Amino acid sequence: MINLLPIATTIVAALLSIEPFHVGGYAGLTPAFTLMVTFHWTIYRPDLLPALFLFMIGTIQDVLSGGLPGVSAVTLLLARAIVLSHRHYYADREFPFVWAGFTLLAGGATLFLWVLHSLLAGRLLDLRGPVFSAVLTVSAFPAISFLLGRGQRAMMGAD
Amino acid sequence: MLTRISPARRAALKRMTLALLVVISAAMIIIANTDQVAFQSLRNSVMDGAAPTLDMLSRPAAALDAAADRIRGLLAVYRENVRLAEENERLLGWQQVALRLSAENAELRELEKLVPEPATSYVTARVIADSGGAYARSVMVNAGRGNGVARGQAAMTGEGLVGRVAEVGSHAARVLLITDLNSRVPVVVEGSRQRAILAGDNSARPSLRYADAGGVMRIGDRIVTSGQGGVFPPGLPVGIVESVDNETARVEPYAALSRVDYVRLVDYGLAEALPNPLSIAARGSKRADFAAGGLLPLRR
Repeated sequence: MINLLPIATTIVAALLSIEPFHVGGYAGLTPAFTLMVTFHWTIYRPDLLPALFLFMIGTIQDVLSGGLPGVSAVTLLLARAIVLSHRHYYADREFPFVWAGFTLLAGGATLFLWVLHSLLAGRLLDLRGPVFSAVLTVSAFPAISFLLGRGQRAMMGAD
Repeated sequence: MLTRISPARRAALKRMTLALLVVISAAMIIIANTDQVAFQSLRNSVMDGAAPTLDMLSRPAAALDAAADRIRGLLAVYRENVRLAEENERLLGWQQVALRLSAENAELRELEKLVPEPATSYVTARVIADSGGAYARSVMVNAGRGNGVARGQAAMTGEGLVGRVAEVGSHAARVLLITDLNSRVPVVVEGSRQRAILAGDNSARPSLRYADAGGVMRIGDRIVTSGQGGVFPPGLPVGIVESVDNETARVEPYAALSRVDYVRLVDYGLAEALPNPLSIAARGSKRADFAAGGLLPLRR
């Protein structure tokens, strides 16, 4: 039961991403909640958030948000691969270090998605919306990470 | 089973799985981008499967929204009343004009023996999910084929055109907003009758492209659908020209697209005009026909 926390929080993050909040302009700037959750769990408990699940949740998120299926999946999977390869840097580090790592990842993901969508559209797309969304994502990360950490300690014991 | 595999091999297996999934995702992107029907049934079934959950989840947000509106309304009730009284006065004037025009119109139709326009019907649906990303502008609504929704129907609010029904499940549908990168709507500048294509680019203000040469567009001009291409009827209000420079004019939509709660999906009896998405094999030859008909091929 307890081991489902990473999966459950990722599902919540995906739902949060497509929930309509009726706030002017918000839909285009929604922070990348699933990326934050994926980053957190890939550092602390990658065994509980398998790649196959990331593929599925990414695909479902793309389909429900009207995007091209595969785009979120590939982003989350690449994020996982990158974070897994540096995982030991983050373990037992102070939060600002982890946050800096996430900032790099979010920046990389923003650039990756912009290049991908520009290629698919056949022209350079406006980068302002994506950059603003990345700023929101990085700003929201401490709160989300704190909540996930609390949940992790409460439900799994110290890792 | 797994316990017998050595840790090193298990790690290698996991890396391979990850790499394989990345390749599959990349292949999906390429296929979905070239063949619009490839994932249609997956899209529809995921949409239908998730619709009840999304419907339920979007209720608290909608309820909060409604509560906030009510409080704002209470606070502004006096001012609002004065405004409404003035507006009512003005509208009564317009009512007289409308009645006169309607009578005159009926007489002229009688004279010309015009074929009556097809009857319209509509379904009101609530927005249960939005695109939540920087690269698509669409909303999911809680009405589908079972409610009479069909591809190509116009999605409107009281103010104006919101978009077009792009995908229909049995009890949910996706509306592609006019601001989406893939949205193209044939429009006309009211007054000058200058034709153009309203092209979304994911920004809040779609641009007017391929405008007829010779016409002059001014800030504040009303933009309505032209009816060309046969997907939308002519005359649906879209927005006003918000800025004009040498290259493009941008349109401020009448509908507040970024916070739409409810849309009316209107059946003008024209939905059959929107060609069904074609499989990749059949597309080459058809592409030219759509363009000639004034309707550019749309993804999704």
